[in-house]
Amino acid sequence: MAAKTDSLPLTEPRSAFTRASLSDRLIIALAIICTFIAFSPFGYAALTSLKSEWKDGSIIPFLQFEPNLLNWQQEFGSGGAETMKALRNSTLISLGATVVATTLGTLAGYGLARFKYGIGNRNLVSWFLSQRFLPPVATLIPFVLMFRDLKLLDTLPGMVIVNATFTLPFAVLIMRDYFADLPPEMREAALVDGAGEFTTFWRIALPLARPALVASTLICFAFAWNEFLFASVLANRDWKPYPMLVAGSDTVRGIDFGFVTTRMLIAVTVPVILSLMVQRFIVRGLTFGAVKG
Amino acid sequence: MTAKEKRSDGTLKNNRAKYLFLMPGVIWILAFTLFPLIYSFGLSMTNYRLGRNPKYIGFENYAEILGIGDEKVDKKAVSTASFSAFLFIGSTAATLIFGTFVAWVFNHNLPFLRQMRAIVTMPLFAAPIALGWLGVVIFNEQSGPINNVLEGLGLGRVNWFIEPMPARLAVMFTDVWQWTPFVFIVVLAAMQSVPDDLYESAQLDTKSNWVLFRWITFPMIAPALGTVMLLRMVESLKIIDIPYSLTRGGPGSVTQTYVYYAYEKGLVGSFQLGEAAALAYLLVIVSIVVSSIYFYRVRERFE
Repeated sequence: MAAKTDSLPLTEPRSAFTRASLSDRLIIALAIICTFIAFSPFGYAALTSLKSEWKDGSIIPFLQFEPNLLNWQQEFGSGGAETMKALRNSTLISLGATVVATTLGTLAGYGLARFKYGIGNRNLVSWFLSQRFLPPVATLIPFVLMFRDLKLLDTLPGMVIVNATFTLPFAVLIMRDYFADLPPEMREAALVDGAGEFTTFWRIALPLARPALVASTLICFAFAWNEFLFASVLANRDWKPYPMLVAGSDTVRGIDFGFVTTRMLIAVTVPVILSLMVQRFIVRGLTFGAVKG
Repeated sequence: MTAKEKRSDGTLKNNRAKYLFLMPGVIWILAFTLFPLIYSFGLSMTNYRLGRNPKYIGFENYAEILGIGDEKVDKKAVSTASFSAFLFIGSTAATLIFGTFVAWVFNHNLPFLRQMRAIVTMPLFAAPIALGWLGVVIFNEQSGPINNVLEGLGLGRVNWFIEPMPARLAVMFTDVWQWTPFVFIVVLAAMQSVPDDLYESAQLDTKSNWVLFRWITFPMIAPALGTVMLLRMVESLKIIDIPYSLTRGGPGSVTQTYVYYAYEKGLVGSFQLGEAAALAYLLVIVSIVVSSIYFYRVRERFE
């Protein structure tokens, strides 16, 4: 619309010109307001996290090395160990869950895109996705007992299992959609050439599906990173992930806003950046494939 | 593909391969979703508490919650369920309205909208537990920006964490703030698939944005809205992280969601796992109903 307005000849009636640009300006203004509402709480948190650094210095590092390097070094020494451990835990748990979910999801996604199954592919897809519809407490309660008996409480494998389970639907869906969009002739040509099903998948389909593989990896990682509920029960000591630290921010030292906002920002940064990179796939992932982004 | 499957030689190989692709995922779901769900149902038929021997009590837990027979209805289950219903309706409706409006704004071909769009989606990807904390800072009664703005506008301060209704709204607003971008991206995708010539021919008759929206955009995005509404409903039933960090369910338990109650019952304090499993199972039934409607609606997509 802006382009059209610009290209209008100068002889065009002035009223039409102003009306068009006026409504454009209104739209831009509305868009700015929306953006402001979405962003301002983060911005406010960022400011808060910087402010109290000068006030009492009780803050975790990461964001403040610009204004005051001394403080940063100090905090890294005193409060940093707990933070670093939780971040390490979160990273390992999310990585493990991502590897498992993406591997299983890629295989299942390829199968669902390329073959017909007796039970009906539609039923199988629904079955894979149904996990996302369940209230997490319903599986959390039995998980406590299962993990207790299997000695998986507060362990890396336990947390990987939990997170892989609930990110698997995203992986299945994203990979299935992508494989389904690849031309089937490729597979058939490879099969005719004598390649087995698995070779065809590995050599032909998988390399082509690299964008979806990246998307699936990042989305699984981001969602595993955000998981709190299961962790709060199943990993509350050695394998405490970062969201647990965020959740417990008040018990540590009352509500110190600078402290809380810094932790919050650290927790939020990783998934937000990852997700912004793969927006197109997020729509599919989050709508369980109902809408193609 | 069918031609290939008919070859006597290829059939067997093909069949075996196709199950090999699917098997690992299927086994995983059986072990970590279906089995826990069955386990949970078994648990819900017992009076199990951590550290005690479970005893089979049939549907007694359910009777206790629902107030069937001699039992009194579990008042806290009802009050937490009503807060969940509040979010189910309020949060779903608000995200749909705001999300559609934001999508309409961003469905214009203007400079910078693409960049702004990325920023607008940010809340969606943040950990809800962290956003609850963000809410603590933003809604703070003394120094929070919301109260400062309200006071600046002459509307006075709101006791967000002390009074029941404001506390409920604080939880809802935080959830709406997080999920509006979700509706936004989906609806925007739907709006962008509306063919331009529909608008072009309609613009001959009207200049009103509202008329265009009501009679062209809206009917075209209605299916996507229906889908998104169902997904939002399911998600709203699962809300726990935000009240957990924002209000701790308070004041009293007015901002405790039903899931939060089940969580507290089974996994905090006295660990009444049997009863908690029954509470959770009742919600599973609701989720199954909503998700069945969802899968029925989108069935062609997954063929």
